[in-house]
Amino acid sequence: MNWPDLSMGGYGFYIWGSYAFSLIAIVWEVVSLSQRKKALTQQQRQSSDTVPASVLRGSANETTS
Amino acid sequence: MLRWIVWRDLMLAWRRRTDMLSTVFFFVIVVSLFPLGIGPETQLLRTIAPGVVWVAALLASMLSLGRLFANDYHDGTLEQLLLTPQPLVLVVLGKTLAHWIVAEVPLVLIAPLVGVQFDLSSQTLWVLFASLLLGTPVLSLIGSVGAALTLGLRGGGVLISILVLPLYIPALIFGSGAVAASIMGMSAAPHLSLLGAFAIVSLLFSPWATAAALRISLE
Amino acid sequence: MNLYKYASPTMFYPLAGKMIPWFSTAAAILFTTGLFVGFFIAPSDFQQGEAYRIIFIHVPAAWMGMFLYVLMAIYAGIGWAFNARLASMMASSLAITGAMFTAISLVTGAFWGKPTWGTWWVWDARMTSTLILMFLYIGFISLQAAIDDPRKADRAGAVLALVGVINVPIIYFSVNWWNTLHQGATIRILQKPTIRGSMLAALLIMLAACWLYSVAVVLMRLRCIILEREQNAARFAEVGV
Repeated sequence: MNWPDLSMGGYGFYIWGSYAFSLIAIVWEVVSLSQRKKALTQQQRQSSDTVPASVLRGSANETTS
Repeated sequence: MLRWIVWRDLMLAWRRRTDMLSTVFFFVIVVSLFPLGIGPETQLLRTIAPGVVWVAALLASMLSLGRLFANDYHDGTLEQLLLTPQPLVLVVLGKTLAHWIVAEVPLVLIAPLVGVQFDLSSQTLWVLFASLLLGTPVLSLIGSVGAALTLGLRGGGVLISILVLPLYIPALIFGSGAVAASIMGMSAAPHLSLLGAFAIVSLLFSPWATAAALRISLE
Repeated sequence: MNLYKYASPTMFYPLAGKMIPWFSTAAAILFTTGLFVGFFIAPSDFQQGEAYRIIFIHVPAAWMGMFLYVLMAIYAGIGWAFNARLASMMASSLAITGAMFTAISLVTGAFWGKPTWGTWWVWDARMTSTLILMFLYIGFISLQAAIDDPRKADRAGAVLALVGVINVPIIYFSVNWWNTLHQGATIRILQKPTIRGSMLAALLIMLAACWLYSVAVVLMRLRCIILEREQNAARFAEVGV
């Protein structure tokens, strides 16, 4: 096992740049998805009828007839 | 039926001749812009000529594709054509052939003339002519898929370009490669035969894809 | 056990929800492991020094970009042929993740090219094909975005994706041809370093990590799409399934 030097032999900018971009892309994807989900659930909650939550939760486990 | 469709489209296009001419003018102007933008040095122009002429042909095709189905779509004729007992593929083939005659053949004919601007030898001009003759059917065929998919959509011409230009790349590579080979004194035959093969493959597959896309767009 | 019930978007929604945490945790673990092996265990390359370590993200991203496109076309085709809404939703969900991986592959490829070959961009067959793949993704996403009716968008996207997937080998072949013609000398740009055992291990672990991540993210997006399109799924959102 070797401890790599952080400057990566002078190539640091390119290596860390690549991984930084990839990390940003991944984080962006996950964050934007969770925001989208949150917006959707809020939307649904606001426009829902007053059916008890326990009834809905129970029906989520049913098989289709 | 096929003859009828082709004839009808040709008649309609003739009534709107200016559309046909504007495509040709666009092609000529775009090709002429490149020497203006790059400089008159003949050696350089000879090198860029294949790519420039071919890309200009691609772009000019983009302009004309919107018209392939749109007019019939807007006046309801397309729906009627879908309802006929004739196979839709035949309709598509007819319209694509008419499009090729009206929009692409003028480009093929005028290309050697614009090729002169780039100081190409007469043999190279023949290769240019041949490459476009073989390649423009591909532009019409694959373009018809894009035109059918984007019928009635907003975003129009730009959307067709985004969909279709990547699919044109093999034709571009083989077509301009043929001309480039000729400029370097080598045989253009391998390029042209690959281009021909690509054209045949497009002929075999595109009409069905276009017919399917038309049904989807018109439901 | 009746598995066909899961073809319904509403039935698949809770199942997807249960799957996501497993896949995302596994992905996180494998990402960490892969990077550890890649940076701490794999030695530096004889020719490229440390710069080669970019392949541990570049190559898996490129493979995922290509694999997800094919998968997207398959799902779109199934959704079209069998009129299966869930399959079409899968295709739409795959598109964005596939495009993202392709973008990562392009950027990391540029970052790899600069120190090893001196230029940010090289027109070698692989990078050029990746660029064209990006265009194909953009086309698919744009087309679906331009069509308002969801089922029509599904079917139109299917035609485009299938035409694209058939064209991909042709495009790759022609780009390869174009590249060898214009290059003259046989310099292989972005040549992979001679692979040692630990390098290969890191590469495969990262590939598995990317795959697991893709499953998690695509399922997350799929759930959002189901919520947007299916009336019956609305109740799930209220209840927090």
